[in-house]
Amino acid sequence: MANELRFLVVDDFSTMRRIVRNLLKESGFSEADEAEDGVVALQKLRSSTFHFVVTDINMPNMNGFQLLEEIKKDEKLKHLPVLMVTAEARKEDIVLAAQQGAAGYIVKPFTKATLEEKLLNILKKTGLR
Amino acid sequence: MDTQPDDLGANAHAAPDIHQQLGQLTRQLHNTLRELGLADKLRGTAEELPDAKSRLNYIARLTGEAAEKVLNRVDQAKGQHEQLSAETRRVKSLLVQDPVAAVAKGHVMNYLGDVEQANQAIDEHLTEIMMAQDFHDLTGQVIKRVVNLASTIEEQLIAMLIQTAPLTAHVSGAEAPAGAPAGDSASHPVLQGPVVDANAAGADVVTDQSQVDDLLASLGF
Repeated sequence: MANELRFLVVDDFSTMRRIVRNLLKESGFSEADEAEDGVVALQKLRSSTFHFVVTDINMPNMNGFQLLEEIKKDEKLKHLPVLMVTAEARKEDIVLAAQQGAAGYIVKPFTKATLEEKLLNILKKTGLR
Repeated sequence: MDTQPDDLGANAHAAPDIHQQLGQLTRQLHNTLRELGLADKLRGTAEELPDAKSRLNYIARLTGEAAEKVLNRVDQAKGQHEQLSAETRRVKSLLVQDPVAAVAKGHVMNYLGDVEQANQAIDEHLTEIMMAQDFHDLTGQVIKRVVNLASTIEEQLIAMLIQTAPLTAHVSGAEAPAGAPAGDSASHPVLQGPVVDANAAGADVVTDQSQVDDLLASLGF
């Protein structure tokens, strides 16, 4: 698997950030950084190079929808695939995420197999793999 | 303090008065709340209490399930580890007795195969134990909501206390709580957090990943 890709994992719960990072590592992606909300994520995305964003939705300061919107508005970032991993299970949220340009949507709690499957699909679609 | 028979008799005579006073107080409280416009607010908060109860049940269920999952996986891993230790002792003894025979009869190769299998199984257990910790995120979101509700109730009770307290009490003054509930940020739409009761949530929410995939597929994603 292409392990040179760099991921940004965004979640306000450190436990979940660690879980996602460990799962990414098990899938062969050891290059990852973390952010606790959309504001920090945006700062990191603008100051460093990333290839993929995995983000929660319900976060303080700037939520996942707002982060997605900012990424898609930014010429330099809009190509980044954004995978939403969230407990928000309303259909309108899923539709909104898709309309705003999310590359995928996973509802918590999820399994390692689900994350791996969505990641591979997105990487294949976006030509990153 | 001991209660004498005479006192009991006196209390029994006083009971109708107390009931009357309690009734008057209740009516007075009801009227005051209505006049202050707090009755509706309190009613709204009270309506959220069953939801808070359901959220607390959700937390209890999720933490219980996570603990159960971790303990089961640890039991399984310990069993496999014990088996591997026993096998190690057995093969070691065979090697000490007759190293050539131990290799020639395939004891060593079989053992290495067992080690590989056990390693894989233990790695799976560790991954599942790690995944079980996701309850922290899900319950954390729900706890935040319940804490917000508790803060709202506290705020309303303090507001009621301030508005109904005698004038002299205003000087020492109970202050409004510093940590007012944060509520949702400028998010759109208002986020709901985890589904704590799938049956009550109705058709507007998904309950597993396959429903998310079906919905996205129906939209052409």
